[in-house]
Amino acid sequence: MLLLYFKISPDGKAKIQLQLVLHTGESTTFHFANESSALKDRDATKELLQQLLPKFKKKANKELEEKNRMLQEDPVLFQLYKDLVVSQVISAEEFWANRLGGINNTDPAVVNNKQEVGISGAFLADIRPQTDGCNGLRYNLTADIIESIFRTYPAVKQKYSENVPHNLTEKEFWTRFFQSHYFHRDRINTGTQDIFSECAKQDEKGLKSLVIQGVKNPLVDLLSLEDKTLDEGYGICTTLPSTSNANKTVKESSNSAIIKRFNHHSAMVLAAGSRKGEAPTDQASETSSTDGNSRDSDFFQPPVKKVKLQEAIEYEDLQRENRPKTVALNLKKSDRYAHGPVPLQSQHYTTSQDIINSVNYIRHEMMNYKPNLTEVLSSTAASSAIAALSPGGVLMQAGAQQAINQMVPTEVQGELKHLYVAAGELLRHFWSCFPVNTPFLEEKVMKMKSNLERFQVTKLCPFQEKIQRQYLSTNLTGHLEEMLQTAYSKFHIWQTRRMMRKT
Amino acid sequence: MKLNIEGLLVYFPYDYIYPEQYSYMLELKRTLDAKGHGVLEMPSGTGKTISLLSLIVAYQRVSSAFPLDVTKLIYCSRTVPEIEKVVEELRKLMEFYAKETGERNNFLALALSSRKNLCIHPEVSSLRFGKEVDGKCHSLTASYIRAQRHVNPNQPVCRFYEEFDAVGRQVPLPAGIYNLDDLKDFGRRKGWCPYYLARYAILHANIVVYSYHYLLDPKIADLVSKELAKKSVVVFDEAHNIDNVCIDSMSVNITRRTLDRCQNNVDTLQNTIQKIKETDAAKLREEYRRLVEGLKEANVARETDIYLSNPVLPDEILKEAVPGTIRTAEHFVGFLRRFLEYLKSRLRVHHVVQESAPQFLKDIFDKVCIDRKPLRFCAERLQSLLRTLEIADIADFSAVTLISNFATLVSTYSQGFTIIIEPFEDRTPTIANPVLHFSCMDPSIAIKPVFQRFQSVIITSGTLSPLDIYPRILDFRPVTMASFTMTLNTFNVCLCLVALSSKFETREDFAVIRNYGNLLLEMSAVVPDGIVAFFTSYVYMENIVASWYEQGILENIQRNKLIFIETQDAAETSMALEKYQEACENGRGAILLSVARGKVSEGIDFVHHFGRAVIMFGVPYVYTQSRILKARLEYLRDQFQIRENDFLTFDAMRHAAQCVGRAIRGKTDYGLMIFADKRYARADKRGKLPRWIQEHINDGSLNLTVDETVQLSKHFLRQMAQPFRQEDQLGLSLLTLEQLESEEMLQKITQIAHQT
Repeated sequence: MLLLYFKISPDGKAKIQLQLVLHTGESTTFHFANESSALKDRDATKELLQQLLPKFKKKANKELEEKNRMLQEDPVLFQLYKDLVVSQVISAEEFWANRLGGINNTDPAVVNNKQEVGISGAFLADIRPQTDGCNGLRYNLTADIIESIFRTYPAVKQKYSENVPHNLTEKEFWTRFFQSHYFHRDRINTGTQDIFSECAKQDEKGLKSLVIQGVKNPLVDLLSLEDKTLDEGYGICTTLPSTSNANKTVKESSNSAIIKRFNHHSAMVLAAGSRKGEAPTDQASETSSTDGNSRDSDFFQPPVKKVKLQEAIEYEDLQRENRPKTVALNLKKSDRYAHGPVPLQSQHYTTSQDIINSVNYIRHEMMNYKPNLTEVLSSTAASSAIAALSPGGVLMQAGAQQAINQMVPTEVQGELKHLYVAAGELLRHFWSCFPVNTPFLEEKVMKMKSNLERFQVTKLCPFQEKIQRQYLSTNLTGHLEEMLQTAYSKFHIWQTRRMMRKT
Repeated sequence: MKLNIEGLLVYFPYDYIYPEQYSYMLELKRTLDAKGHGVLEMPSGTGKTISLLSLIVAYQRVSSAFPLDVTKLIYCSRTVPEIEKVVEELRKLMEFYAKETGERNNFLALALSSRKNLCIHPEVSSLRFGKEVDGKCHSLTASYIRAQRHVNPNQPVCRFYEEFDAVGRQVPLPAGIYNLDDLKDFGRRKGWCPYYLARYAILHANIVVYSYHYLLDPKIADLVSKELAKKSVVVFDEAHNIDNVCIDSMSVNITRRTLDRCQNNVDTLQNTIQKIKETDAAKLREEYRRLVEGLKEANVARETDIYLSNPVLPDEILKEAVPGTIRTAEHFVGFLRRFLEYLKSRLRVHHVVQESAPQFLKDIFDKVCIDRKPLRFCAERLQSLLRTLEIADIADFSAVTLISNFATLVSTYSQGFTIIIEPFEDRTPTIANPVLHFSCMDPSIAIKPVFQRFQSVIITSGTLSPLDIYPRILDFRPVTMASFTMTLNTFNVCLCLVALSSKFETREDFAVIRNYGNLLLEMSAVVPDGIVAFFTSYVYMENIVASWYEQGILENIQRNKLIFIETQDAAETSMALEKYQEACENGRGAILLSVARGKVSEGIDFVHHFGRAVIMFGVPYVYTQSRILKARLEYLRDQFQIRENDFLTFDAMRHAAQCVGRAIRGKTDYGLMIFADKRYARADKRGKLPRWIQEHINDGSLNLTVDETVQLSKHFLRQMAQPFRQEDQLGLSLLTLEQLESEEMLQKITQIAHQT
């Protein structure tokens, strides 16, 4: 049961009601009848629903999306869906019943094999505002850009799911977003009335926690670079001592704000690209920071450090190579190679080592080859053997039977294929009911049987008639029928047994 | 392979060798043979460190048969990662020795670093800043704290130090190679303090690797490196900035805030003296007696009392008793008060004052009757007082220590220093912020004892050009000066001089900024993976970034690559750097905007895909309006006959070379170097670039437009993307032992070293 949205009755109304509208289109209306606390109860329910709805929305959509995606990605499945569900052989729930289960159980990495796409660094630049002629700006937002914004700035996403659609419409939300200082990078004076000021603060916090977390690679840690810094007061300060914030001009601080923004933006874009699926909340990243990089992590740091140090002192060209031998690419026209990629047919590649090995092997074989001339066939015997083995020869009669793909037109082949797939699916459902040991399965097996019969009548029979009309050999569907018959007989056996048990 | 370098058997832990490495070892051996000092320039990525180590270790092994030749190698590097890299290379070499000779040699080599990197005390090591760690450590290990523990067993002390003090000194550290982490592991196993263990072990170690400061900063050198053997070879790696390190270690800045804190310190001292007088007057009398007897006894410095060391070089410390005027504690505090009041009055000026040390001394004598002699003992006397008063947290007394160090310095050196008092910053003339700069102008002062004491000092780096300037500003006479270049079969560097201008007058120009932006934009579309761009100063970069943002250039760049920018906050920059590397690593590509002379330009390497192009926007001249710099230039002119412009250009060029050299870290590496300023094409600038850069400058790469640069880069990058094959290198830039020993090759190698 998935809730799509809910409505409440206006405050002035005598009846205090709350209507829930489900995804399937059904709706349920609750009437709060308790005189004294009806309004309060209703409001409390409303509050709760309001909080829960965004979460469930996500979940519901995810399921729908998932189904949609599966159908889009798998043409065979789609055809099956068309054959079985659209033509109402089985219901949609039955169709999905043991498919989605599979999705939830199998390794998500396998299912989500669609590669995660990174985010363009310049996605904000792509929202070029256009003047609409009357002192206004138009921003063009696409789903992609919104997705990018959400993935890069989780704080904005949170604001969105909190505020839209209860407090703001989607349009209002984005209008405010673009008006906010948050969007404009030189944000120094973030007003408090702005809903995005909180985002800015959160970003600041995120940035700080990133900084405090420190870096894992000791070779880029500027803080521990110097061994012994001069004490305060010693040394020559060639650069002017850093001025306090008080006498920094507005321009300077806005400049450094821009620099900060760029660093943060790039870091977020980078993080969004490497983030897997779920967006980690601030807490999560913070906890991971505390357990990952606290100061007493001495035991954890050295390996990274060791590896980095070893990398840094490596001179690979001074060492003798121990890698497998490779064949150098010999380019006749290096320009053509450098200029553009040519579409490549997928091929099976052998490694250069393999090639070298096989060449060596053949050479070796050839060197050792000695023709044994005393045991050679006579030329007449050889030619007659060749003749016998050629198509049409004595020994080739059995293989002359023509393959189905040469006898039957392609559209019939396609149709047959679909029939096979559909029948296979139905039979799978049917056979999966055995052994029938629960009432549910009993019911299902009956239904499946009728489904099979319906399939035979609505799909198989017309096809048989069709091929008869085209004078094709009728044993094309023989196997299909055989399979159905097996199923029927199984069903009958089961049914008679059941009858006997009952009587 | 085993090499024969003029009769010396050198184990070299690789199968092949670069010709320049051989040549480098040859020059190094000659320097050591002559027991003199040397200046050697070789580009980074040619295996400088391993060549150095191989040769010196071989030398040490031979001299163990002929004693009194070279007993110790002191290897100074600049950053902690560099130090650790050196030790790892050494480990590799030693493993090779063990494999080849089949015996474990009893070599002891270790790295030494500050407490922050070595402490294993759970509480102390959790502190974030080096200064806090030092202070906390001191409060647990100072000699009088430990003495108090005999009376009061509840006094907390560091158990690791106690354990080390009780047992650790008797048993020498077993032979082996100890990196910082190895020392910590060893310390944890034994329950000994790794820091003090390392400091003790360097006395008998064969190789010591630590940072410059342990030799050059007299405040530390006196404690840590005083007893190192004279028959040592000292190597300063990455030494292109050594003059600044020398100067920094001898200079002092005093602000009004320093003086206020100093005032508090002095008050605290006064109170403590008062209290002690009431309770334990004998202690003060005892101190007085010691001072009468002379400094000698007071000078038995405890190794744990690190804050209390003399700011001047050892040979300048007077070997006589503290003068009577400051011998009693109260008199000394009164003396400090007077000195403090005098400094306060000096900071009340309204115009800039510049004077020499003798002028300052005369003035102080005229105004408040303070003599030179007691001033000279100021630092020494304060140490004695702080020790007597048993002050636990010395870190709080940094202000008064600073002032007394200043007093000692200003009264000890009459030459090579200048005093500049500025009432306000140049940029904000309305805000009073007086600073007294006591700045050293002569780097040779700090490094002189090193040259005098040690048998051979080698100064080496990737960028030391022009070679003759270092002996002049550091005032020493080298026996060898040589510059080596990278031998290559194809050029793996493409150098472009783009004809844009960023002269100080025109650099705020709109068109200049836009041209720079276009260059970066075009390159971002052409170059794969990482691009690093350097600006001349931080303020300039901020302005440019702001105007690029307004002009929409940055947005367009973002279509190609992510943008990361160095900030003045080191932690933030580290984060940006790591993200930058991540972006290069995962193929997205990124641009890092950075500043010449900044931390990134000095300490971070951009190997391979982390830096396929470096763009240097403008010539990184130092901020020439600074009075300290002007004074230093004047001094250089008068004392060393170095013209201002020559020095400024030299300084700018070494930083530019450092920046662009960040991207090429080896022969298998390749990258574009783009100097975006037409001034680089002039002979005086070009001539001061290192030889390995100059070689790549040809007429075709001079005065290019942006379009030409892009074309050139495209072509270059395509060529470079072809596989790198060892066969092509062999015999030219990579040699086997047989090839090395051929007559013809030896002939060639002798020509590699570019003598000056």
